Amino acid sequence: MEIELIEIRDFLAERPPFNALTEEQLDLLPKQLEIRYLRRNSSFPPEGTTSNHLYILRSGAVELHDEDDNLVEKLGEGGIYTTQCQLIDISRASQGVATEDTLLYVMTCKTLQALRDAEPSFNEHFSESMRDRLKQAVNTLKVSNNNNPLEILTAEIQGLLKKAPVTADVESSIREIALVMSAKNISSMMLMQDEQLVGMITDRDLRKRCVAAGVSPDVPVSDIMTTDLKTVQEDTLIIQALMIMTKLRVHHLPVMRGDKVVGMVTATDLARHQSTNSAFFAADIRKAESLDNLASISERLPELQYQLASSSATALHIGDAISSLTDSITSRLIELAQLELGPAPVPYVWLSGGSQARREQTSHSDQDNALLISDEMKPEHADYFGQLAKRVCDGLNACGYIYCPGDAMAMNPKWRQTLQIWKKYFNTWINKPEPMALMLSSIFFDLRPVHGEFELFEELQSEILGKTRGNGIFTAYMAANALQHRPPLGFFRTFVLIHGGDHDDTFDIKHRGIVPITDIARVFALDRGLPQVNTTNRLRAAAETSILSQEMGENLIDALEFIASMRINHQAEQIGNGITADNYMSPDELSDLERRHLKDAFRVIQDMQETLENRYQGGRFR
Amino acid sequence: MLSRFLSKESQRKRALKKVEQGVLHDYLSTPMVNKDTVCEDLIIVSLDLETTGLDPKKDKILSYGFVEVSHMTVRLAHSSHQLISIEEEIPEESAVIHQITDDQAATGIPLEEAMPILLRQLAGKVMLVHYASIEQNFLDAACRKLYGAPFVIPIIDTLVLARRLFERRNHTFQPGNLRLFNLRPQYNLPNYKAHNALSDAVATAELFLAMATDMFPNPSQCQLRRFITQ
Repeated sequence: MEIELIEIRDFLAERPPFNALTEEQLDLLPKQLEIRYLRRNSSFPPEGTTSNHLYILRSGAVELHDEDDNLVEKLGEGGIYTTQCQLIDISRASQGVATEDTLLYVMTCKTLQALRDAEPSFNEHFSESMRDRLKQAVNTLKVSNNNNPLEILTAEIQGLLKKAPVTADVESSIREIALVMSAKNISSMMLMQDEQLVGMITDRDLRKRCVAAGVSPDVPVSDIMTTDLKTVQEDTLIIQALMIMTKLRVHHLPVMRGDKVVGMVTATDLARHQSTNSAFFAADIRKAESLDNLASISERLPELQYQLASSSATALHIGDAISSLTDSITSRLIELAQLELGPAPVPYVWLSGGSQARREQTSHSDQDNALLISDEMKPEHADYFGQLAKRVCDGLNACGYIYCPGDAMAMNPKWRQTLQIWKKYFNTWINKPEPMALMLSSIFFDLRPVHGEFELFEELQSEILGKTRGNGIFTAYMAANALQHRPPLGFFRTFVLIHGGDHDDTFDIKHRGIVPITDIARVFALDRGLPQVNTTNRLRAAAETSILSQEMGENLIDALEFIASMRINHQAEQIGNGITADNYMSPDELSDLERRHLKDAFRVIQDMQETLENRYQGGRFR
Repeated sequence: MLSRFLSKESQRKRALKKVEQGVLHDYLSTPMVNKDTVCEDLIIVSLDLETTGLDPKKDKILSYGFVEVSHMTVRLAHSSHQLISIEEEIPEESAVIHQITDDQAATGIPLEEAMPILLRQLAGKVMLVHYASIEQNFLDAACRKLYGAPFVIPIIDTLVLARRLFERRNHTFQPGNLRLFNLRPQYNLPNYKAHNALSDAVATAELFLAMATDMFPNPSQCQLRRFITQ
């Protein structure tokens, strides 16, 4: 049968949400519509209709305003106005005006409901719950890709655990243990006391510490077991496990779920899982003998990011993988420098700041770092640390992590200080949160130890969090800072719609999408004294407290994942085309669906910013 | 040609006297819409015919498409598209325009079946067309041939409305400017690619909505006489 009104059918068929309908439903759809025309400057929705309708813009443009007459949305060709058909006004638009001559397709809410009832995937588009819509947005990103050669970089260790953990009581004799290991054909065993992991024994230990050392096999295994165990959690990335193994020169890592043993992963397991170029990154970095070596490995990072983005990796995991490799490069640079400079005269720890610290780095961002030195430092040690910092920062620069434009680097003597001085710095910033401090806040209030004595950092961190926790004045300043970057309202044709009704051709997805969320998460973490640095982890932890609702926390996490993925895909596309990756996205790059999802994500940020504004400003500190 | 100077209602009464019992008699028994009727109280039928040529004496109707307009709203639920079978082959030069092939035409219904449907649809309503002489003359010829009496209906012709608007605004124009698909972009109406009788009827209906709002701020409240062209 000939399809009547094929023009209208095809117009709807090619855009969401109607593209979720079946061919048959689409064929029948035009006859269920009405057409209306609005002359420029007439009010929208059209007057003189009694029942409620869904409006689809066929041509023209409509601006929607909230009750205070602020522009909240601008619809162009294909735009949909659902307000009359939804129980909750999710658009918060109360009135509108046609800003161009506009042709509308009109559907009754009853027709819409019938389609929603008939077609679940169509119905999803009209979900009134932001939670559901964001979940759906994040799900659209998860394209399965089983043949991913880079899986090792983003896969979690639990995927490698196939057998139940083989454990034995710590009171067993060496002989008993050796018999079990032979019978089960395993190279190591975990030793338990009262269901707690207390030690481990390997083939090598049996050779070296028992047979070669002439120890009787009848003594308890506890006499020769290793007790100083490094363990990993089951959600650790495989690549991180690999890095830990290379760094500690061990071949076995017990895998934990909380404090419960769930398995053991061996270097052999990892090697079996390794593939071509990927995991060798970490190993290559650790083996690099010179700066040139490191620089050429580092050159492959954008390519790696590209490949990760083309695979099913999430933005969270990509940020984690790239940050881990930057950590490795930093560590290796420090080791190489120390081969020439000798060991440090007093304990120190190399700190990363900003996105690397948050484990949200994309390849080759600026370097942000600092050096925290023990208070045992004497004036004569200054030269050593100065040289160390210079070599590492220069090395990072040579590896593509360009010098921080704000000079927030360990090579700057100001950011190469003893614990006592660092505490003073933070004291000043927290007590007098001036603009300068706020500018640095995204770097220095996001710190993570990378190399050296981690305990030094822990002391500094607990001092900082002790001072920020519940500090109304300080968090109010931080909140004000978090409100500086506002997301766009949405998109209109090829433009980005920003507050006040202005248009832009492009938008900075980092500063208008990601930074607002990291800023918000930082306010929560500092206000509640949470030690987490990664934004997702901060939000998760904050949602466990009364400062952030579970639902809002999940929404922010999903919004971040979606926006960050859009950014990574944008950069992957640029890298693929041989262009230097940047953060400027143009609406032309976005599909209708991506626009909708981005708009939802922006909306979550706006809502959170409004909440922050109310909570922290005007002298009402909570 | 005297009938041109008579009101539609007088024309209807004269024609009714001539016609035998049947479809056209029923049609003509319904009074013509009064020109004083306010637009929101009436139904306008936007109609388009595809024909084998321009001469109603020898050319044939190949299809019709119509859609109702009321309250300045195009009601797609009240729309229809129908192919009409003809005995001879479709001339190639017209097939290029309407893209109806002989095979398709063969699936249509004969004119004898189509006319009663159209007449029932149009009774007591206003006909909206772009360039009325085709629809008016072909329907008139069909009525005379099948029922022995003329076809009478009040007509809104968007081509005539457009010409009046051009003239009233002292804009110079070429005949080509008055074509349906050249007028639509002026009102920001989309470019429809498919052309069949129904999509042209819809295109005409949309153009009418746009022109009516261009002519009057509240066209629903206007009397029909403001728009009627014939």
